[in-house]
Amino acid sequence: MSTSSLDSLSAAPRTTATAGTAGKVIAKRAAGSLFVLWAAVTLTFFVLRLTPGDPITAILGGAGSSPSPETVAAVRAEYGLDQPVLVQYLSYLGNLLIGDFGVSYIFKVPVLEIIGPQILPTLQLAGLALVFAWVIALAFTLLTVGRGRVLDGGGRAVEVFFASLPQFWVGIMLAVVFAVTLGWFPVAGNDGFRSLVLPALSLAVPLAGFIAQVTRSSFEDALAQPFVLSARARGLSDTAVRVTHALRHAILPGLTLSAWAVGSLVSSAVVAEIIFARPGLGRSLVDAIVNRDLPITLAVVFIIAAVYILVNLVVDVLYRVVDPRTNPKGSAA
Amino acid sequence: MRTASPSTPRPSRTLALLAVAAGLVLTTSGCGGSAAASEDDTFVFATGKDISCLDPHVNGDMPQASIAANYLDSLVSQDSEGAIHPWLATDWSVSEDGLTYTFTVRDDVWFTDGTKLTAEAVKANLDHMVDPDTQSGTAGGYLKPYVGTEVVDETTAVVTLNRPYAAFLEVLAQPFLGIESPEALKRPQAENCNAPVGTGPYKIVDYVPQSRVSLVRNEDYNSAPPYAQHEGPAHIEKIEWRIVPEDSTRYGLLRAGQVDALDLMPSVHFDEAEADPNVELILQDRPGNPTNLILNTTRAPFDDVDVRKAFLRSAYVDAGINSVYFGTVTRAGGPLSSTTGFYSPDFEHVYDPDPDEAARLLDAAGWTERDDEGYRVKDGERLTVHFPYTPGAWPTAHQALVTQIQATAKKAGFEVLIENGDGATVSELGNNFAYDLRADYWNTNTADVLRIVFSSEYTESAGFVPNGSGFRNPELDGILNDALATDDPAEREDLYYQAQQIVSDNALQLPLYNQASQVALRSDRYANLTLEPSLSLPYLYDVTAVDSE
Repeated sequence: MSTSSLDSLSAAPRTTATAGTAGKVIAKRAAGSLFVLWAAVTLTFFVLRLTPGDPITAILGGAGSSPSPETVAAVRAEYGLDQPVLVQYLSYLGNLLIGDFGVSYIFKVPVLEIIGPQILPTLQLAGLALVFAWVIALAFTLLTVGRGRVLDGGGRAVEVFFASLPQFWVGIMLAVVFAVTLGWFPVAGNDGFRSLVLPALSLAVPLAGFIAQVTRSSFEDALAQPFVLSARARGLSDTAVRVTHALRHAILPGLTLSAWAVGSLVSSAVVAEIIFARPGLGRSLVDAIVNRDLPITLAVVFIIAAVYILVNLVVDVLYRVVDPRTNPKGSAA
Repeated sequence: MRTASPSTPRPSRTLALLAVAAGLVLTTSGCGGSAAASEDDTFVFATGKDISCLDPHVNGDMPQASIAANYLDSLVSQDSEGAIHPWLATDWSVSEDGLTYTFTVRDDVWFTDGTKLTAEAVKANLDHMVDPDTQSGTAGGYLKPYVGTEVVDETTAVVTLNRPYAAFLEVLAQPFLGIESPEALKRPQAENCNAPVGTGPYKIVDYVPQSRVSLVRNEDYNSAPPYAQHEGPAHIEKIEWRIVPEDSTRYGLLRAGQVDALDLMPSVHFDEAEADPNVELILQDRPGNPTNLILNTTRAPFDDVDVRKAFLRSAYVDAGINSVYFGTVTRAGGPLSSTTGFYSPDFEHVYDPDPDEAARLLDAAGWTERDDEGYRVKDGERLTVHFPYTPGAWPTAHQALVTQIQATAKKAGFEVLIENGDGATVSELGNNFAYDLRADYWNTNTADVLRIVFSSEYTESAGFVPNGSGFRNPELDGILNDALATDDPAEREDLYYQAQQIVSDNALQLPLYNQASQVALRSDRYANLTLEPSLSLPYLYDVTAVDSE
């Protein structure tokens, strides 16, 4: 991963308020966000509905129940499965507009009652995983970049190793060592911060490998910049140069990566959620897909899409803070 | 009832194997955690499979029955021999034609919402199970002969059926058909799914889907079944029923002392658990039709009985089971598991592996050629067996087992194509007989399971088609219906023997192993965790804390 310095430093956000009013930008953004939500839900709906197979058995107690024809007919009518797909789609969309996500096929209760309580645990998990990943990645790059061939090479090797670890394996290993053997953390569950540490770490370690790889190359570029040389010439210590000058530039690509990472953390949270027996959106999504529980699947997809949109927004704002050149009112580029 | 498997969907099979490998790391000696039971007298039970709706009348999957066995009582009870005894019903009489059952219910029992148990509850519950809006696949499925209930007085209910159904009392003993408060049943389904109400030893106080169910002791409990070891309220005050889908984690929790018991004991940890003085394993095969591969007799190649027999003869099931289950399940050879009433051991070894016999049978059936890959050929057609399969719905070991069967069948000249798909896809193929092999089992507490799995009546269904063999045999149908029309045990035994004989002679299934309840208990803290007799489900009513020094 070696990008030229210019590339990595001009990784500008997707919208810049150079022309037009802020209002226009906001309107554009809102329209774009709505489109993304609509597209995500629509695509998921048709993929699930047009996949062969009948959800009825899943709804009626797994593959081993033997319901009466009346029961099956009642279920089809109840969930509108006897309607043409297009009609089902339009009625789903209509309900969505008034905030009605429907009723779970499997749990028989309103979708939001099932996944509402799971949003926070998953966001906590994803959030803490991101924090851990950044801490690990930054500690790593600050300590090893430009410190000579041995440290550099060693750092690179560890990053690749981290990035290639399966979350599943990391999770099981953490559980075995720190929970079962040493007893420092609960083995599973969802009670407070201590039960969050191991699941967050299992998602954070591979992600830290990715972030560190990206950060390392931009860090190297930054250290080669003239302003670093002048800072050193002014007699700043090496650490000060790294932390106050180079770091700012180095984390920009990592920020972009984080926007993607949060979205993927929410959906890949399933691994940590299953291993550590935590309730959460990831588990809901996997179970719902397997059981053909369409309303839950669509709602989780909707939430993940919304998280993506929000995180991208936050990253854009952070960009302006970290890199004043992208801010029209900031210092001139 | 056939449950979906204990294994949760996993990111991939490789990862599942990794988990097993990692689980093997857990082999330090002894259990952690304090030996004393937790201070606030809460018994923590870790279950391996998600529960959907807590009301077992709805849907009807095994995890629902498992928790229902601890908060619902049933009208009648069953002992480990299969005999029926009173429970909420003190006695009953059956009309001469087998169509009318008159139940007398106890008049000193209350539901935990304060409603008194009356004959009205019999009507409300049976009506609820057969109501299409309840969406009952299991309880409703067992009540197909049900016509209605007449409440004669406060304690007398008369149930009418449209055909003789001697298995009626047996299915009534299952927690799937547990008796709920008629008042509670009147609430919207969503509400009743979260907090159903029974007369049982515990009552539900809270349910967080995917996470836990909290139960608290019913202090007024006075309706223990005959198979219980004591009467009155339970010994343990609170139960936390935690949902922990990952095998290694569930076992890790037990070792670390963070749970007191678990179900779906992972086979990979059996040796370790057996060697651990702090862990007691409670194992019991379940009644019903064992785990099997059922052969579709409605199309070639398995429309030919010789080809079916050849397939059965080609499969080295024992070797497969020993290598992938480490001896933690028991082999089944006949159509009934050994814990089912009227089971006969005579059919266990009818189709033991015999490559020479398999070859002879295939020759006799005209599959005389072999192509260059070694598969048998007839009229230019390869001997191909289509096997749609949902890996996510089965334990990892089962996946390994079917792969081994595929390999041994190849030696005999069968090309078994395991075609992976999701549950809905596979069940649709299954309901249209668009397969040659189907993976199945059916847990129920009566030999009447033979009718569900092999009779003409069950070759069609609006939902799931239980008779995956498509076998339609008037003689067998007659025998199975006659067995429902008598309650003379000797006569039923004879009829069910004939039925097992016909099923075995026709080579309709390759039986693999018995479904089993496999529970582990921290015996340094608690004792007397038993399995209720109807479906071998964990029963916590008699559990006592072990005094710690």
